[in-house]
Amino acid sequence: MSRVPLRARVGLALLVGLGLLSLVAGRLFPEALASTCPLGMDPTRPDRTVCELAFGGLWVSLAVGLAAGALSTFLGLAVAAVARLSGGAVEQTLLRAVDAVFALPDVLVVMVLQLAGQSLSDAGAGGGLGPFGLMVASLALVGWAGPARMFRNRLATLESQEYVAASRALGGGGLHLLRVHLWPALRPFALAVFLSRLPAAILTESTVSFFGIARMEPMSLGRYLGTSYAALIYEGGGRVVLPAWALLVLLVLGASLASQALSGAPRRAS
Amino acid sequence: MRAIARRLVRQVVLVPVVAVASYFLMASLPLTTETDAKRQVSRELAASYQRDLGIGEPLGFLRPWEKLLRGERLGTSAQGITGDELLTKLSGSVGVGLMALPLALTWALGFALLRTGWRKGRWAALGDVVPAVAFGTPVFIPALLLAPGVVERGHLLPELCAALVTSLWPGIFLGTLVGDALETELSRDYVRTALGKGLSRAAVLRRHVLPNVWPAMLDAVGPVATSLLAGSFAAERVLGLPYFGQLYVLAVLNKQVAVVVVATTTFATLLVVVSLAVEVLRYAVDPRSREASA
Repeated sequence: MSRVPLRARVGLALLVGLGLLSLVAGRLFPEALASTCPLGMDPTRPDRTVCELAFGGLWVSLAVGLAAGALSTFLGLAVAAVARLSGGAVEQTLLRAVDAVFALPDVLVVMVLQLAGQSLSDAGAGGGLGPFGLMVASLALVGWAGPARMFRNRLATLESQEYVAASRALGGGGLHLLRVHLWPALRPFALAVFLSRLPAAILTESTVSFFGIARMEPMSLGRYLGTSYAALIYEGGGRVVLPAWALLVLLVLGASLASQALSGAPRRAS
Repeated sequence: MRAIARRLVRQVVLVPVVAVASYFLMASLPLTTETDAKRQVSRELAASYQRDLGIGEPLGFLRPWEKLLRGERLGTSAQGITGDELLTKLSGSVGVGLMALPLALTWALGFALLRTGWRKGRWAALGDVVPAVAFGTPVFIPALLLAPGVVERGHLLPELCAALVTSLWPGIFLGTLVGDALETELSRDYVRTALGKGLSRAAVLRRHVLPNVWPAMLDAVGPVATSLLAGSFAAERVLGLPYFGQLYVLAVLNKQVAVVVVATTTFATLLVVVSLAVEVLRYAVDPRSREASA
C-alpha cells in the first residue's frame, strides 16, 4: 500500500467511502436516513425523503458504473491484445474501428442501443437482459474504444523495452510475452483505465436515464432527477438537485484522483 | 497534404458506416402489432416503420433519404419530420453550439492561466477539484438550476443559457490541456532567453509561448465540439428548445426509427465537418503540420 501514491489513496478512499455510505444508507438502513434527512420529502414522491432517493440512486449508479467500467476495460484490453498479437492489416482495421466508435458521442449511441434493446426485450427476444443488464451492455459497447486505444499504445511502448526484446530473442511467443512480461507491467495501468471509465459510465447512464429512455429500477441518480424534473423547474428544485449533484461530483473526484495518480505513478523494480 | 487527405478520408468514411449500421440496426428491430402479447407500437407507427425504411426492398437503406429529398414526411404525422424541418432544427442546435464554442474557449484560457498560478500556491488542490466538479456535473444539472428563471422569458435567453451550461465541462477540459501545454512551454529555455533579453512577460506569452500552445488546443477542439453538440441534447430538453437534440430524444422515446436513422447520420456528418474544419485550421496555424504533410 505504501507504493500507492497519496492522491490515489485519497481517491480510492473516497470511492470506497461513497460505496459503503450508499450501501448502508441507501440499501441497508434507509429508515434511519428517512427519519434524519434535513432536506425533507421529495416533491414528486411524498412518501420518500430526498436523502433516501439520492443515496438509493447513488448505489444504483455506482453499480452500473462499476459493471460497465469493468466490462468496457476488459473489452478494450481484449481488442488491444488481439490487435498487437495480430499486427499488420488486422491491427489497422481494428484501430479504424476504434476511431469510428470513439468519434461518436457516448450518449447518442447509448440512446440508440437502448431503443434497440428495449424493442427486443418487449418482443421477448432480449436474451434475459433486464434494464440493468441492458444499460451495462450498452455502456460497455460504446466505452471499449477509449481503453482499447490506451491499452494498444501502452502495449506498443512496453514491447519496445529491452527485456521484452530479450524474451522475444530467446523464442518467447506473443501469448507468452503478453502473459509473463507485459500483463504484470500493464496491471496498474488497467486499474487506472478502469477508474477513468467509471465516472464516464456513470455520467452517460445518468444523462440517458434523465431523458427517460432507460428504465432503471430502482432509480439511478439520473433517473431520479429525470422523473422529478418537471416539478423541479416550477418549484425551484435546488433542494432536490444539489445532493444528487454533490454525490456525482464526489464520485468523479474520487475516480479522477485515483485514476490520474495510478496512471502517472512511476514503476519500481521489485 | 497527403497525410491530411488520409485523415480526412478516414473521417468521411464514418458517415456511410454510421448510415448503414444505424439503418440495419433499426430495420432489424421486431416492432410489431401482430398480437396483443407482442404489441409494442401503434398501427400508424408500425406502418411508417415499414414504409419509411423500405424493409425488404433492394437498396431499402436509401429510402429515408429519398423521402427527405422529395420533401415527404418521415415517421408518423404527429411526430415525424421533413427535410426542411430537420435543417431548421439542426441550424438551431448548431447556433447554440456556435455560441458555446467561444464561451468554452474563454473558460479554457481563463482556467489554464488560473491553474498555472495555483500550481505555485496553496490553491494547488483547486487544479484537481475544478475539473472534477466540471466533469462530475452532467449538463442537465446546471440547466435544471437555471431553468426556472429562463424557460418562459424567450429573447434568446434559453439559447444563451444552453450555450453557457454546455460550454462548462468542455471549457475546463480544454483549459486543463492548455494549462499543461502552457506549463511545459513556460519551462523551456527559449522563454528564459526571451525574458533575459528584456522582453515583457506578456510579449513572451503572446509572441513565443501561445503559438506553441495552439496545436495542443486544436487537438482537443474535435472532442470538445462533440461534447458541445452532445451536451446540447440535455440543455435543449430541460430549457424547452425545439432543436435537433430535442428531436433526437423524442424520436428515440417514441420509436420513430426512420427519424433516428436520419438524425444519427446527420449528427455523424456534422462531426466530420467539424473535424475537417479543425484540420484546415491546424494546417493554417501550425507550421509543423504543414512541414509534416509536405
